[in-house]
Amino acid sequence: MSTDEVESTYSRRTSRWKLTVLLLLVALFVVVLVSLNVGYAQIPFGNILAILGKQIPFLNGFVDSSLVSSSDFAIILQIRLPRIIAGVVVGAALAASGVVYQGVFKNPMADSYLLGVSAGAALGASLSIVFGAGLGLLQVAAFLGALFAMFLVYNISRVGSRVPVTTLLLCGIAVNFFLYAIVALLQVIAGDQLHSIVFWLIGGFSNVQWSHIWSVLPFITIGTVAAYFYARDLNLLALGEETAQNLGVNVERVKMILLVFASMVTAAAVSICGLIGFVGLMIPHITRLVIGPDHRILFPASMITGAIFLVVCDAIARVIATPFASTLELPVGIVTMLAGAPFFIILFRKKKQSYAL
Amino acid sequence: MLNVDGVECRYGSAKVLEDVSLSVKEGDFVGILGPNGSGKTTLLKSISRTLKPHRGAILLDKADIYALKSAEVAKQLAVVPQDSNIGFSFAALDVVLMGRNPHMSRFQMESGKDMAIARKAMMLTNTWQFAERPINELSGGEKQRVIIARALAQEPKILLLDEPLTHLDIINQLEIMDLVKELCVKEKLIVLAVFHDLNLAARYCTSAMMLKKGKVFVAGSIVEVLTSENIRGVFNVNAIVQRHLVTNSVFVIPLSPQKPSQSRQCAVHLICGAGTGTALMKILLDEGYSVTAGVLNVLDTDSETAQFLKIPVTTEAPFSPITEKAHKANLDMIRKASMVVLTSVPFGYGNLQNLEAAKEALLREVPTFVIEEIPMETRDFTQGKAAKLLSELKKMGAVSVKNQNELLERLHVSEEKLKIVKDDTAELLYHMRPEEKPKQKTGEKTV
Repeated sequence: MSTDEVESTYSRRTSRWKLTVLLLLVALFVVVLVSLNVGYAQIPFGNILAILGKQIPFLNGFVDSSLVSSSDFAIILQIRLPRIIAGVVVGAALAASGVVYQGVFKNPMADSYLLGVSAGAALGASLSIVFGAGLGLLQVAAFLGALFAMFLVYNISRVGSRVPVTTLLLCGIAVNFFLYAIVALLQVIAGDQLHSIVFWLIGGFSNVQWSHIWSVLPFITIGTVAAYFYARDLNLLALGEETAQNLGVNVERVKMILLVFASMVTAAAVSICGLIGFVGLMIPHITRLVIGPDHRILFPASMITGAIFLVVCDAIARVIATPFASTLELPVGIVTMLAGAPFFIILFRKKKQSYAL
Repeated sequence: MLNVDGVECRYGSAKVLEDVSLSVKEGDFVGILGPNGSGKTTLLKSISRTLKPHRGAILLDKADIYALKSAEVAKQLAVVPQDSNIGFSFAALDVVLMGRNPHMSRFQMESGKDMAIARKAMMLTNTWQFAERPINELSGGEKQRVIIARALAQEPKILLLDEPLTHLDIINQLEIMDLVKELCVKEKLIVLAVFHDLNLAARYCTSAMMLKKGKVFVAGSIVEVLTSENIRGVFNVNAIVQRHLVTNSVFVIPLSPQKPSQSRQCAVHLICGAGTGTALMKILLDEGYSVTAGVLNVLDTDSETAQFLKIPVTTEAPFSPITEKAHKANLDMIRKASMVVLTSVPFGYGNLQNLEAAKEALLREVPTFVIEEIPMETRDFTQGKAAKLLSELKKMGAVSVKNQNELLERLHVSEEKLKIVKDDTAELLYHMRPEEKPKQKTGEKTV
């Protein structure tokens, strides 16, 4: 390959990043629109667009929504839109933290729930369900439980001033088991509340309201933006901690910052929807297979892909059981795993040569 | 300017480095040598700001590197590790561009300048042609060259190499080391390299440090450090150290540790010269024979080898024909030998006497072997006199062998026979050599 060829291939590769993000955003927008149309109540597209247009400042004067019924307004704005936006936020958050964990741990099995975050959140949620707290308190309990578990794992793993990733990984597993044992105990004594606990553990958006989203959005925004500042350090960490150090990365500090922010993002996400699996593990893998390992593009692309994936899964979850019982809907956690795993396996088998972790 | 000042490193309570000091200035190429576990890599790690020493300091232009930020250090110091395990399949070019990290601010993308530097580094290391290939699909040697390109992309003042050539074939080794040497000389780079191959160290280093059990055994110029005494002291291996005629650098030939072979109580006298006996001397010694040789001119390769192996030799002044005195001394040696071996040495008027000396052995019925690896016609520079003498020798009973291996086989056989004779009729054998009497060692130089 000639000099110019190499450089132009490289610059094409990097200039494609913006296009990639743009295309993914367009795809996300389309998915959101289509998803708004999905549901028991049949609301035509024109009405959906009119309802949305009314919400946009300056533009609302040009939109005529006189033909749209007020119940349609309520269904779109108060029922469908919040859970779709929650899907976007949670999907992006879980994918982002998955990217960070896989990058820091250089381990293909790493996902958003690695450092005991899931078990901590589950414990918090189960406790508040069993002891009859309200939905708002459940969210706070899950969030605090997740952070508590993360700090526990991090501090147990500390060896002097260093936190070796292998110890982190093992401590995370151990703490996970311990906390899940308590959750199992709570399930045993839960009685009538068992159903709620199980639903929360699988994860779903059926009770999401705008207030939930607003309460976690700051954590997720700050966490992902802060973690993205360290995207290049994540690339360097892939070379090994010692090499990263030799290339100017303050490894221990960067690792701590990344893990704390990623855990905060995960904790915030699961606090509103329970433990949705697969997204944090597989979305980064799938995105990496398609666009490569550079975290500067992998990170945003994974976030948008995660959002798209979760919105689609939630739409499926809402309608798949409707023919049988109009009020029954599947928890989205089941759909993510049923739909995602086969898709990942197909993709992996196609491209496994170029995939090494 | 890099100063290592009284560094002590510990893993737990075990001291791995103790009181190591080193001062390196621009343009120095320093080899760090020593056996496994002597602390070489630990020293590099403490210099590269990876392993903080428990005592002592590493000073980079008089600033303690552990007080500097890692990015500051990375601008000046690059490391090429022994092994690189890269987590994801980044393209080779991406990996090299990562070398620009310390020079970039957090929110910067690689600029055209970074690209140009990476390209130059990849051109120098001959890796540009696979810039777009995933690093994990490259061969070990290609990968290592990419890693070296990454180190060069850092534009460092100091380059630390930890056995950088382990994965490389010989041409790659030389190309990479030539490149590093050139940068060291032209760009006034400081190079610190851990070597297992003493000859590579000898060829490229200006100075060296030998570590033994975490302590400095010796440090100084490469010629001062690489001596057979030091090599024996640190590696516990005997080695021949010489200055090579072509490369003009010191070169080291480690000798395989002496096999504990039984002493055979059997003396072999070699008539050799011009290097034809060098290999045989070592083999015969290893096999347990005692060896003598002669007549050899001083400074002859065989003579130098004999000196190194502490073999008794009858010598003659350099480039001089064999004198009567030396010849007689040689005959004395032959009389004491149980076997005589004639190598494929070229004959001129200067050493024709040695063939006459072989006659003496045959007259005494000492088993005599002639290695005819090279036909006599091509190495006879005496108008056929040597060839004539050789055929006389053969008529008298000298055994012709094709090569060294055949000789060794024959020697074993013959030695077995001798043993039987010795065991049964030691007395008789003594009388078959009537002139065998304890004599004074005239003219024999034991060196």
